[in-house]
Amino acid sequence: MLWAALKAPRDNKTPLPTDAQRRLSDWALQFTPRVAHLEEAVVMELEASTRLFGGRRALRDRVFAESQELGSDGLAWATNSMAALCLVRAGIENGFKRPLPELLDALSLDVLTATQAHATTLSHVGCKFLGDLRRLPRGGVTHRFGKPLLIALDQAYGSVPLTHEWLLPADDFRARLELMARVELAPALLAGAHRLLLQLCGWLASRHAGVTAVTLGWAHDTMRAKHVEATGSLTVRTALPTRDIEHLARLLAEHLAHVELEAPAGEVMLTATEVVKLEERSASFLPDVVNRREARALVRERIAARIGPENLLRPVLLEDYRTEWTQHWLPLNQQPPKLKAKPPPFPAPTCVLDQPQQLMVRNRRPYFQGPLKLLLGPHLTEGGWWHRVGEGAEQEHKHVRRDYYLAMSPHAGFLWVFKEGGEQWFLHGSFS
Amino acid sequence: MELQHPSQNTAIPMAQPLPTHVAASLWRADELRSPPTAVHPSGWAALDAELPGGGWPGMAVTELLISQPGTLEWRLLAPALRPIVAAGGEVAVVAPARPPSMEGLVQDGIEPDRFWRYRAEEPARRLWVTEQLLRGNACEVLIAWLPQVRQEQLRRLQVCASGFEGLCFLVRPAHALKDSSPAPLRVSATLASDWDLRVRVAKRRGTVHEQDLLLPAYAGGISRVLTPELMHPSRLDDRPIPIEAHDAVGSTQSSARQQNPAAH
Repeated sequence: MLWAALKAPRDNKTPLPTDAQRRLSDWALQFTPRVAHLEEAVVMELEASTRLFGGRRALRDRVFAESQELGSDGLAWATNSMAALCLVRAGIENGFKRPLPELLDALSLDVLTATQAHATTLSHVGCKFLGDLRRLPRGGVTHRFGKPLLIALDQAYGSVPLTHEWLLPADDFRARLELMARVELAPALLAGAHRLLLQLCGWLASRHAGVTAVTLGWAHDTMRAKHVEATGSLTVRTALPTRDIEHLARLLAEHLAHVELEAPAGEVMLTATEVVKLEERSASFLPDVVNRREARALVRERIAARIGPENLLRPVLLEDYRTEWTQHWLPLNQQPPKLKAKPPPFPAPTCVLDQPQQLMVRNRRPYFQGPLKLLLGPHLTEGGWWHRVGEGAEQEHKHVRRDYYLAMSPHAGFLWVFKEGGEQWFLHGSFS
Repeated sequence: MELQHPSQNTAIPMAQPLPTHVAASLWRADELRSPPTAVHPSGWAALDAELPGGGWPGMAVTELLISQPGTLEWRLLAPALRPIVAAGGEVAVVAPARPPSMEGLVQDGIEPDRFWRYRAEEPARRLWVTEQLLRGNACEVLIAWLPQVRQEQLRRLQVCASGFEGLCFLVRPAHALKDSSPAPLRVSATLASDWDLRVRVAKRRGTVHEQDLLLPAYAGGISRVLTPELMHPSRLDDRPIPIEAHDAVGSTQSSARQQNPAAH
């Protein structure tokens, strides 16, 4: 058996289990379903999980690093939970270094809670270490100090089993954290949010789920201006359900960069707004095409978070004769239409300006970086009488009647120009 | 056992040379050579002959030096992109100098559903997007227009590109040619007469490229409608600018209107 005990910080007044303990146990449930609160610590049994998490060494490193971030005071490993608790109180991490009785014998009595009631008497009879207590005659100990002390001692040495009430993951996730200092800039909230994300990802893993939306909230302190609300929040969405802490943290960072706090914040909250079941993917040696597509979606999402989804565009072709209506740019968050337009049967420019640009005309000849030579045309485009934009007095027609030409400019290559309303020439695109 | 002299290990001159694709994957222990990278043919035999490895290199940035960005990029690159897109590859463009139009590009084989356009104005943002795409391996072809970029930023992109499996083109102004660059391949391109592009490999691994290449490049399916005489428009006489009957009427009316105030 491989037991780990994580000590949560606690002052003697707070009732058990403390918030810190709950935070740790929420996170610990991702490693094993056998997680319990034992006095002020969280204990978990990890023997069956070592292989899944890459062996004892890797598991220990991960548990150590993440529990430190979550605010744990110490970590100890032993063959049973009571021994792990004694070791973590004594500040010894590895309970497998030497035989357990040998390690425990050297610990002072106060690591075992059951001895506290009899601390004075025990010190008077010369018991300072657990080893001293163990060497006393068992009958006498039961007679003098009662049964619970002996049972607790036996549980620590592993000769009597200890039963636990296993914890279950909660149905929804809502966690809060008081920040060490008041934060005035939104990106600085991320440090606190990361701790909550760690907890969230643990909770998600224990439920075999992923999030598609998380809400980060913050509470302003009482010393704020009158018009400022007491709390603020930010909801971040992802296209695919995920419980990848790196991705969530990056997304939050990008979104927080745009947020301006109206007053200093002293507390952050994290809520899993939309939780969906996440299918586990089995690991593979071969590069995975499906995984790669998902990774791409994540990259795009991250870029869109910084530059804005309206700046990440994909083209949609429509069947329209008018050049400016043939192609639309759809932002990332809009679904493209299912129906595919047929490509136009005639040549078309590879670049089209957003707005046609009026050309200088000299001696009836259009100029764009020199006089234009018309090669092909006219190509009459007429249509759009059905197309009206705007309401009421501002309504306007999008009807066009233009003669398009392929023109050659001495310096700008091959252009797509049109003549409209007599002598007005416009540049609309280029074959470039 | 009798020891043999080490000279027995030297390469024995082969009666006939290996086929190119075999030679490309064969490394002889006695020669220094950079590891072979994926190379995509450019679409022109003449250009392929000048490019190291016979095409545009993957896993590295390629600089395109163009005096007027927006005038010839798709004409130069479309032939290389067509097979990549046909095989399911995605094309990403970062801050193109002129808005690309799928209406024409689709005729060069670039499908709209595999095309992504990233709009970014500030130079720092363009660089950031380019770097993210390179790091994330998020497309098969990346074309980024970077009019202002410093040498250390280019070096950073080049390092990112070493893990990028696709093609990466950075479009820079032609005057950048006088500055040094960490890109292993730099190609300058200008418009020549008619439909030709004048292309020169300004920097490559190997000997210096002296002779300019003239590549006939068409875009947007225009080659289908070009008559033999339109293939050489510079030889054509100027066609008169067409005048329509109603235009002429309109112009006399307007001149009449202009005269009216003078009469009053």
